[in-house]
Amino acid sequence: MSESYAVNLEGVSKSFGAFKALNGVDLRVRRGEIYGLLGPNGAGKTTLIRLICGLLEAQGGTVTVLGQRMPNVSVLRHIGYMTQAPALYPGLSAEENVEFFAAINGVESGVKEALELVQLYERRKSVVATLSGGMRQRCSLACALVHRPEVLLLDEPTVGIDPQLRVQFWDYFRRMAAAGTTLIVSSHVMDEADRCQRLGLIQYGRLLAEGSPVEIRSQGGSQNLEEAFLALAGRKES
Amino acid sequence: MSGHRVRAITRRLLQGFRRDRRTVALLFVAPIVILGLLGYLIRGSSTVPDVGIANQDTGPLGATVADALSRSTQIETTTISEADGDARLKDGSLVAYIVFPADFSQQAQGGQIAPEVHVEGSQPGQYAPVIQALGQSLISLAGSSAPKFQPKVTYLYGGTAYDTLDYFGAAFIGLIVFFLVFVITIVSFLNERSQGTLERLMASPLRRGEIVLGYMIGFTVLALIQAAEVLVFALAVLKIQNHGNVLLIFGMEALMAIAAVNLGIFLSMFARSEFQAVQFIPLVIVPQFLLSGIIFPVSSEPGALQWLSGVLPLTYAVNGMRDIMVKGADLSSSGLLLDAGVVAGFAILLIAAGTATLRRRLG
Repeated sequence: MSESYAVNLEGVSKSFGAFKALNGVDLRVRRGEIYGLLGPNGAGKTTLIRLICGLLEAQGGTVTVLGQRMPNVSVLRHIGYMTQAPALYPGLSAEENVEFFAAINGVESGVKEALELVQLYERRKSVVATLSGGMRQRCSLACALVHRPEVLLLDEPTVGIDPQLRVQFWDYFRRMAAAGTTLIVSSHVMDEADRCQRLGLIQYGRLLAEGSPVEIRSQGGSQNLEEAFLALAGRKES
Repeated sequence: MSGHRVRAITRRLLQGFRRDRRTVALLFVAPIVILGLLGYLIRGSSTVPDVGIANQDTGPLGATVADALSRSTQIETTTISEADGDARLKDGSLVAYIVFPADFSQQAQGGQIAPEVHVEGSQPGQYAPVIQALGQSLISLAGSSAPKFQPKVTYLYGGTAYDTLDYFGAAFIGLIVFFLVFVITIVSFLNERSQGTLERLMASPLRRGEIVLGYMIGFTVLALIQAAEVLVFALAVLKIQNHGNVLLIFGMEALMAIAAVNLGIFLSMFARSEFQAVQFIPLVIVPQFLLSGIIFPVSSEPGALQWLSGVLPLTYAVNGMRDIMVKGADLSSSGLLLDAGVVAGFAILLIAAGTATLRRRLG
């Protein structure tokens, strides 16, 4: 297995009862890149992310993260996971939440830096229940990256976030990637796709296409990414 | 006021229940189970106490009264020797024993009837039928011209100052801690699931045992502070009688708290919402409350229920608490060691069950 890939999925399948959530997905994410997982709701993006962090086990195929077959608890120290809904302890302050996630990942420092990165340091003493939706989302991001993971999994991190904050988030993501972090960002918003270095298009549990935004455009035969996506989706279906 | 809108609310409510079969089942099955249990418990109980008779009377009266007592429907009599009496009270095979002293007949001729009644005494009111049966036997023998009936009552445990609160208090100190700790644990563990933080914990290097142990220590610390508060209030304010070591009571409470925390973690796996978690309260607490001997002594329960009582942790906890507080049992008492051992065993079993059911994977 090539070590140049931070995340490597080969022929991965996952079913829930009769429902096939993922069907033979191959996917490769290089170290230090921002990989965009694109697809409509229910396409299998969250299932894929959960497989990568070992919350689900594949029925077929292999999931390899940082050279280790998943599920593997020892790799989890190097993974940061931001769930779709901001999963935080509402009775604790922003700082206490970040401190907690640092501690369970075996890290003591970095809390201040994480809070500063998401611009919540001034509000660190505020109880999470009193924070706005966007602030919670930022706090959730701080919790996911406080232990400086090598692989950061972000499940729709910009859902429900205003455009200004979305620009800020992408700014953080680029800075982290530049520092060597591998980021996998799921989204159903096409205009975010252009900010990724590479994209995987998922629909009905299959990977329709993979490549840089430029490659995807040429594969789909359209300068508009959304149209290219729809063209690729239609081609597979027929 | 619009009937249409009111109807919409009513319909919405009933539609929601239609999909939550468990709640519907609880609503209609639980009352029947609880009432049925109560009915069986009360109607099926054998409440006739076992009483020993030691007749040392040199005259004829002792034998006559003993004979009359053996025909009483209020008590069940056995002939014993006085020397065995206290031992039989301690091992629980007798509730009381009556001694007719050597000069019993003579005293009666002098106008005074004074049998010695020795009662176990840990349960208030339990010996009332004994005194009643004794009085009735004497009346049936002598009619209204009976001499003055002055039984001399001695208590193995408790005493005249010992009341119902002393009896229930010992059990309730343990029950309150068990109940509240269980409710708090099951709800907060469920919160961990519903607010999504459990998913994050599972995607971290935390091990299942670490989560369960962390929860256990956290809630046990809270429970112990609560237990200390309850104990101080019970002993200092309510002045519930205590003949045992306070540290032993505290130790027993700690064991119960640990069992309750892990029962909460274990059962939270079987609830999808706080709403469903709260439903475990009547299912877990009510049968234990009825069957653990808090109100109805286990020994008087119908046979099948005695067996059920025997597998409930609270039965041992309640028994242990009463042994310490009412009977002054210490660590040299094999009965107390058994009770503590069983509660500890349940705690360990529940720790294992809680850890095993906490799955890292979601599906």
